[in-house]
Amino acid sequence: MEKIEVPKEENKVLEGHQKVMYTTTETGDFQRTNYGSSVEEFATQTAVEEFEVLKQESIENIKRGISSPLEYFMYENRMDLATLASVVGMFQFRVKRHLKMSNFKKLNEKILAKYAEAFNIKIEELKDFKV
Amino acid sequence: MSEKFEHSQFAHCESGVVSTLLTHYGLKLSEPMVFGLTSSLSFVFLPIIKLNNMPLIAYRELPKNIVNKVSRVLGIEIVKKTYKNGIEANKDLTKFVEEKKLVGLQTSVFYLPYFPKDMRFHFNAHNLLVYGKEGSNYKVSDPVFEEPVLCDEKELTKARFAKGVFAPKGFMYYPKNIPSNLDLSLIVKKAIKKNAKSMLTPFPYAGVKGMRTLAKKISKLSSKDERYLKNYLTHIVRMQEEIGTGGGGFRFLYAAFLKESKQYNLNQELLDEASSLLVKSGNTLREFALLCVEASKKIEKFDRSKIAQKLIEASKYEEEAFILLKKI
Repeated sequence: MEKIEVPKEENKVLEGHQKVMYTTTETGDFQRTNYGSSVEEFATQTAVEEFEVLKQESIENIKRGISSPLEYFMYENRMDLATLASVVGMFQFRVKRHLKMSNFKKLNEKILAKYAEAFNIKIEELKDFKV
Repeated sequence: MSEKFEHSQFAHCESGVVSTLLTHYGLKLSEPMVFGLTSSLSFVFLPIIKLNNMPLIAYRELPKNIVNKVSRVLGIEIVKKTYKNGIEANKDLTKFVEEKKLVGLQTSVFYLPYFPKDMRFHFNAHNLLVYGKEGSNYKVSDPVFEEPVLCDEKELTKARFAKGVFAPKGFMYYPKNIPSNLDLSLIVKKAIKKNAKSMLTPFPYAGVKGMRTLAKKISKLSSKDERYLKNYLTHIVRMQEEIGTGGGGFRFLYAAFLKESKQYNLNQELLDEASSLLVKSGNTLREFALLCVEASKKIEKFDRSKIAQKLIEASKYEEEAFILLKKI
C-alpha cells in the first residue's frame, strides 16, 4: 500500500485550528488525522493579499476621480462584480457603471442604501468617503 | 433517532454532515462511504465560469451532489427545504432544534463569525449541522472544526441567505424514512462503476481529461503578468487544498471508501490496487500543489512543463484506477 504523508507544518491562517485528512495506518486501514499545511497557508494568504492590493489600487483610482467608493468596499468585503451584483439584486453592467465615480455621484438614496446594506455600513460612509 | 449528539470532525463538509445525519438517524455510514456511494470524486475545470476572475476548478462533484444523490442511491427520503426569508427559516429551525432534531444547513463561509478572518471568503456551499439553541445562539457542529461552536441567530441567518454563486436560500435538510434492509453490496458496485464512468468521460473539461486540459492550460501560461500567474497558480491550490481537503484529500477519501468497500463481496485485489493508485494520485497532487506554490513565490523559477507534467502524472494514476474499477 502506498503511504500517505501527513504535512505537519504551521498554518497561521487557521488561527490555531486544525483540519483533518484521511491517511493510512501501519495496517493499511484509513483513519482521520490532523494536519497543517504551509502550502494551504500560502495559497490563502495570496488570495487575501490580492484583495488588499485591489483595495490600494481602488484608493488611487478614487483619488484620481475614476473609481467610486463602491469599488473600495466591494474589495473590502472580498467580493467580485458578480457577487456584489447578486447581493444588491442588480445586473452586472449596472453595478459596473456605479463603480465609476461619475455615475456614482448621480445615485439616489435608495440605491445607495442598497449598497450600504450589502457592505453592512452606514450610507454616510459611502457618501462621505475620504481617501 | 438517538437523543445524544456527539460532534466529530471530518475532512469535507458535505460528506461529513451527511454521514453524521444518517448515523444520527439510524444508518451508520462513514464519511468515505457517503462520499463513495454518491460517486462524488471528480475533476472539473470550467474556464468560462469565473470566480473572482479565476476559472472554476473542482476536485469533486459540485455542491449538493451528496445531499441530492444520497436519496436516489440509498432510497432514503431526505427532507429538503429552501425559504424565501430569514424569519420563516429561523422559526422553522428553532422549532426543529427544540424538538431535538438534528438538521443540516447550507451556508456562506463569509458570514460565519467563528471562522478565522482569513478563511472567510464568499463560498456559499459550506455545510454544517445545528443541534441546539441557547438563548439567541445556535449550537453548531461544523464538520471542519475540532469542537462544536456557537453562532448567533442573526449571523447564521445572514450566512444562510447569502447571495451569489451556489446561493443557499436558507437550504435545510434532514433524512426521513431510512430503509432498514439495504443491500449495500449492489449499491457499492453500482456507485463505483458510475464514478468510473464519470471520471473517464470523453468531455475534455471533466474527469481525467479535464485534468489534462488544465495541464495544457498551465503549460501555456505566460510569465509576463506575474500577478495574474501567481493568483492563477495559488487559485488552483486553494481549490484543491483549502476548499478541498488538503493534499488531494478527496483522492484519499475515495481511496478510504474503496478499502471499506472490500467487505461487500467485491474483487478485493482490484479494490486494493485502485485504492493504492488513488493514494498515489493524491500524493502526486500534493507535490503538484507544492510546485505551484514554489513557482508563485519565485516566478523566475516557474517551470510550466514540470508543473503540467505533475498534473498529467496524477491523471494517469486516476485513469488506471478507474479503468480497473469499471470492470468491477
